[in-house]
Amino acid sequence: MYAVFPVRPIPRSPLMAGLLDRERIIAQPGFNRWLVPPAALAIHLSIGMAYGFSVFWLPLSKAIGVTQPLPCGAEVGFFEQLVTTTCDWKISMLGWMYSLFFFFLGSSAAIFGGWLERVGPRRAGVVAAFCWGGGFFISALGIKTHQLWLMWLGSGVIGGCGLGLGYISPVSTLIKWFPDRRGMATGMAIMGFGGGALIGSPLADLLMKRFASATSVGAFETFLAMGTLYFVAMLLGAFGYRIPRTDWRPAGWVPKVQANAMVTRGHVHVRMAWRTRQFWLLWAVLCLNVSAGIGVIGMASPMIQEVFGGKLIGVAGSLADLTTDQKAQVATIGAAFAALLSFFNIVGRFFWASLSDWLGRKRTYMIFFLLGTVLYASAPGAGKSGSVALFAAIFCVILTMYGGGFATIPAYLADMFGTQFVGAIHGRLLTAWSTAGILGPVLINYIREYQLTQGVPAAQAYNTTMFILAGLLVLGFLCNLAVRPVAERYFMTDEELAAVRGGK
Amino acid sequence: MTASDDEHPSASSWVLVAVGWTLVGVPMLWGIIITFRKAALLFR
Repeated sequence: MYAVFPVRPIPRSPLMAGLLDRERIIAQPGFNRWLVPPAALAIHLSIGMAYGFSVFWLPLSKAIGVTQPLPCGAEVGFFEQLVTTTCDWKISMLGWMYSLFFFFLGSSAAIFGGWLERVGPRRAGVVAAFCWGGGFFISALGIKTHQLWLMWLGSGVIGGCGLGLGYISPVSTLIKWFPDRRGMATGMAIMGFGGGALIGSPLADLLMKRFASATSVGAFETFLAMGTLYFVAMLLGAFGYRIPRTDWRPAGWVPKVQANAMVTRGHVHVRMAWRTRQFWLLWAVLCLNVSAGIGVIGMASPMIQEVFGGKLIGVAGSLADLTTDQKAQVATIGAAFAALLSFFNIVGRFFWASLSDWLGRKRTYMIFFLLGTVLYASAPGAGKSGSVALFAAIFCVILTMYGGGFATIPAYLADMFGTQFVGAIHGRLLTAWSTAGILGPVLINYIREYQLTQGVPAAQAYNTTMFILAGLLVLGFLCNLAVRPVAERYFMTDEELAAVRGGK
Repeated sequence: MTASDDEHPSASSWVLVAVGWTLVGVPMLWGIIITFRKAALLFR
């Protein structure tokens, strides 16, 4: 077997516990469990702004020039651009922050997931608030002194760690509060991560316009204001967390007597979970589902513009044939399409995760992969038919399943591995997201580039990509099909579970 | 007592629940309205 370590070697009374300690946040009798989802949402809506950071790229790319970018000369190399104060940052250099976000999100969730289970969600939420809010302040300093490395370090690295911790902080707590509706509970929180940019992007835009002057693009003040706002909101969320007593269950709810093989009553230790075949199958399921969807999110705006061209504004001709004004109008519609997809990404998180409580997780993912394959394969035909509404509808449904994949996976893990270490196991599984964050966009961009160099018209350059994404989903379907209940030998004994729970 | 079947939340706790959901719901609603306004361009 394997060694287990108690959560607390010396159990302390709640009165002795520190403000952030796990013992301090064990709910009193009569606590209303519906208070926990808004607390989780406060954190997820804050960190979800990571998706909306592109709103800063254009203003930051002219932080020195103010009215227009002051480009660096050819003699300014990669490392000089990190410290230069004489010329503006390129958008491609700023865009690295995205990669840092998702790399550190996955890494920190994987590394600190076990720690979160030991110390409880409040401490993790507070640390996340310091990392995410603090990252904004460090970035503000980077803007003020025009040091790109400070922005990468602040928002990308430190903020990225805050993303990871904040993302996983409410997961196991919500699953324990809602054993009757695991999918819906985690869906509510993870919906916030998708919704963060919906609030953060327009807010950042408003603030930058408010703070802009003849000598500033207003980004410094905006980072300070948003950092403060997110810090306070995340602290409120963290202090709103409560965990149920070990023997707590919802009033009137009785666990199903008839056993469902795909929903375990036992608990697998995080150190054992990653040694199971099921963990890696679910890792592949998440990675493949996200790879396909993340690619679509990244290319949504240019894709609809290139596929429909002038038709979007009622003019004949492809995108290349349009005037500059017409291209600007088409670009606005491209942005509208991207906004619509972000909305369906959020809706899908709540809808599919809630539906999975009725359908079961495995069946829900079956639907994602089957329906997704059909929709991806239909997209080129919809583009060819010239129906913008049909094309948009296909991608809206695809995006609901992209979001649904994120929101349903914690409940799937809880069903397979039990609830004791689900936060930590989920943290490790999020490395699949980091991998998909690289795989999806790279796959799509390179295939498109290759198509264009082979002389394929821009309007058709996405067709092959769609079939490849459909292929990824077929692979995902097979992985999901292979998921079976975890073998008994991986589950903790009652003694081991008691030791892990601190000897209670 | 193992489970707390008889521990129903107090009536006042629902007021707190309403406040909590309003605090997160209002900004979300604002973001959704702005998104829909942008997205409406697609169907003009």
